[in-house]
Amino acid sequence: MDKVLYIDYERCIGCRACVIGCEECSGHDHLSRMFVDELNPGETVATSPTPCMHCVTPACAESCPVQAISIAADGTVLSASMEKCIGCKNCTYACPFGIPKVDDVKKVMYKCDMCYDRTSKGRPPMCASVCPTDTIRFVDQDDIKNDPPKPVQFKWDFGGTIIETRTVIGLPDTEEHRFGYREGDGVQS
Amino acid sequence: MGHAQNKDYSQRDYDAILRDGEELISTHCCFCGMQCGMNIRVRKEDQSVVGVEPRYDFPMNGGRLCPKGVAAYRQAEHQERILHPLIRKNGKLEQATWDEAMDLIVSKIQEIQGKHGKDAFGIYSGSSMTNEKCYLMGKFARIGLGTKNIDYNGRYCMSSASVGFNQSLGIDRGGTNPWSDIKFADVLLIAGSNTAECHPLSMPYIWGARDRGAKLIVVDPRQTKTALVADVHLNIRPGTDVALVNGLLHVMIKEDLIDQDFITNHTTGYEELKELVQSYNPAYVSEITGTAADKIITAARIFGQAKNGFAMFARGVEQHATGTDAVSNYVNLCLVTGKFGRKGSGVATFTGQGNGQGGREHGQKTDQLPGFRKITDPKAREYIAGVWGVDESEIPGPGLSAFEMLQSLGKEIKGLLLVCSNPIVSSPTVGDVGEYLKSLDFFVCMDFFLSESAELADVVLPSTVWIEDNGTMTNVEGRVLRVKGVDRTPGESKRDWKVICDIAERLGRGQYFQFDSPEDIFNELRLASKGGIADYYGITYEKLDKMQGVFWPCPTEESEGKPRLFEDLKFNFPDGKARILAFEYKGPNERTSKDFPIILTTGRVVFHYLSGNQTRRIDTLRNFCPDPYVEIHPKLAEKYNISNGETVKVSSPRGSIELVAKITKITREDMVFVPYHWGKSLAINHLTNPALEPKSKIPEFKVCAVKLEKIASSAGEMHG
Repeated sequence: MDKVLYIDYERCIGCRACVIGCEECSGHDHLSRMFVDELNPGETVATSPTPCMHCVTPACAESCPVQAISIAADGTVLSASMEKCIGCKNCTYACPFGIPKVDDVKKVMYKCDMCYDRTSKGRPPMCASVCPTDTIRFVDQDDIKNDPPKPVQFKWDFGGTIIETRTVIGLPDTEEHRFGYREGDGVQS
Repeated sequence: MGHAQNKDYSQRDYDAILRDGEELISTHCCFCGMQCGMNIRVRKEDQSVVGVEPRYDFPMNGGRLCPKGVAAYRQAEHQERILHPLIRKNGKLEQATWDEAMDLIVSKIQEIQGKHGKDAFGIYSGSSMTNEKCYLMGKFARIGLGTKNIDYNGRYCMSSASVGFNQSLGIDRGGTNPWSDIKFADVLLIAGSNTAECHPLSMPYIWGARDRGAKLIVVDPRQTKTALVADVHLNIRPGTDVALVNGLLHVMIKEDLIDQDFITNHTTGYEELKELVQSYNPAYVSEITGTAADKIITAARIFGQAKNGFAMFARGVEQHATGTDAVSNYVNLCLVTGKFGRKGSGVATFTGQGNGQGGREHGQKTDQLPGFRKITDPKAREYIAGVWGVDESEIPGPGLSAFEMLQSLGKEIKGLLLVCSNPIVSSPTVGDVGEYLKSLDFFVCMDFFLSESAELADVVLPSTVWIEDNGTMTNVEGRVLRVKGVDRTPGESKRDWKVICDIAERLGRGQYFQFDSPEDIFNELRLASKGGIADYYGITYEKLDKMQGVFWPCPTEESEGKPRLFEDLKFNFPDGKARILAFEYKGPNERTSKDFPIILTTGRVVFHYLSGNQTRRIDTLRNFCPDPYVEIHPKLAEKYNISNGETVKVSSPRGSIELVAKITKITREDMVFVPYHWGKSLAINHLTNPALEPKSKIPEFKVCAVKLEKIASSAGEMHG
């Protein structure tokens, strides 16, 4: 079973449980690899989490001069090998989503490895385990890409370069507002 | 799959991960009334608490946690824990031995009570404690100290809901239904609750309903995370709920969206309500509430036309000078449309405190004895006296409610024991409350962190954190569940129930407090609650483990509790009929004026719990929200020439505070919002109104009148 992260950010409450939960995975050395962004501060409280998108052809790994970033058998793009990483930040610059961080003290890159310690044992990553609203889910890749519950995106156009990601993003309904989701109208009386 | 009662919940089919050299303590979060299940990771070698692991099999949350839940364990090894008793010497709290502290406490109790009478020593307790401790506090006050003056911080939190439910339904169980029922509603009306931030683990249930096509109506002056995803957001002016609901009822009655059979067979009082709401037409209600008439009509139609639905609410409805009216009026929505006693239909209040439900059932409320018995009821007194082995005349009558108790410190009450609360942050007019506390002859506090209130105490006793003890909690649904802990007491800390028993012993009342474990206390609580409304008699620790919690009432050992109330449509009155009560809109106690033209409302953020004594100390939570702020609408900000991030002064007739302005369109133009989790100069409760609801005695935290001032010489301005 090939499982991936699915982000339905319409449901995100910006609580950062994923950010704090990320620290709790045994392989993560209490360094969070998760991001939550306010989408339009001052206009709306809407937020969205961003884990690693786990590109099918990861620019981070391709840009690494010492081949420190491995790809697991299931396609998970792992964090840099502590032994190999030289902290050069090539990966940080190469990543179109801005995911890899570098610990400036240890001179080593760290990023989301989908909690390899957990997923390799069949458990969901910490972010998907703790997310209180099911914004972040750990689901079957084929199901979510071929038969999604709502419109999704997993191919991204960066100036003509199409990048396919294993992580799938569910798009909010801003046309029909079926779940009332609006971007920044403020309070209407 | 577990017990049938848990069938429709959120559990997930994964096992927790156990790491080498560790054990997992399967327990619950110490924070809100959801009581999410969690596993605490403990290193076997030294019993140190090292982390949290999801508890996927617990029905309520299935391993999911909010940030407070994820970080809760970080209290256990926290460097600011109090690890030995402290006694004030020459004005400063200094380390002391337990014997010194206990001798002093006992001599002061005896001195004060000898000189001024038994009631001169009071207890102010809390609702984040286990049922066992809440029960023990009530018993200790009445027959350990012999004082009538015990009340608790739930007075600020759950008391309006309690009175409202009792007067409408005859019973106060915060959720009439199991939480899984929410998924089966066709409409959810959520009022005065920022559910997403304050009870995040309710969201999977709300989304569960949404995924099945349910409509969501949110009543809140702010476009919170909850309101953002609503079909209809009624952004009413704070304090106008009674008028809004009268408007909704007006439309439903006019358009015949009511259940006449249900009204006739199962309620009384409908005609008075019909008569009263006649004048509350949408245009008039729109004027009072400041929300559009067409939205009121739409919401009324959605709620009225739905077969199944919930009316759910929280402090935004309850913390008002007419809070009990508002609660009963929201209950009316379900009564006139027959939404009770079925999967997907009922009412609920989102319990704020960890044991907000259990803490209000077993006798630490000043007007109450265990099992939800009234302390003025001769039969109840007789029964409890029998359980306790005392003469009925030894049980005092009702004393002062929480805020009234604080106001009487130094006057009627000369000595105070404070447990599990931080009233100098959480009370209105906190500046005055500091003076009240300082005017005491003797003030003893039990806590594991030195709270702002504890800083003023004469003696501070170090207690344990929640995962260093055992016991039961009762969650938002009325489900009693087991909290388990690590067997350790760091430094010289002691479990507070043991300390209470020890004080009783030293006061010569030890014979009534012979408890060796929380389970001993629970077994007495079972008996004390037997035959009461909140009947725990049939609940045992074993049953709680086996069923993953038991819903009260559970009157016999064979009983498996009652997840859903009123399935027989019999309400808790002698005639079995619910009471439809009619209320005119009176409005908040304090109105805006020329001098104070803006409404202030207060509330919570997802990263903090109550007075913040715990969550402000946890780095990871504090970093996400280090300081309070004032939310101001851009148009209001423009009027005062205030820009985002600038420091402004907010003042009410009672006090003022300087806060950073957060300019946002999510709030109304006629109000500002400030979160309340901070103390001292950052406490917004310097400003809030101490006007008490006449029946529940809850202060009106949610509305007062303020003015805004730009601080002219702020550094930001000078340096551009």
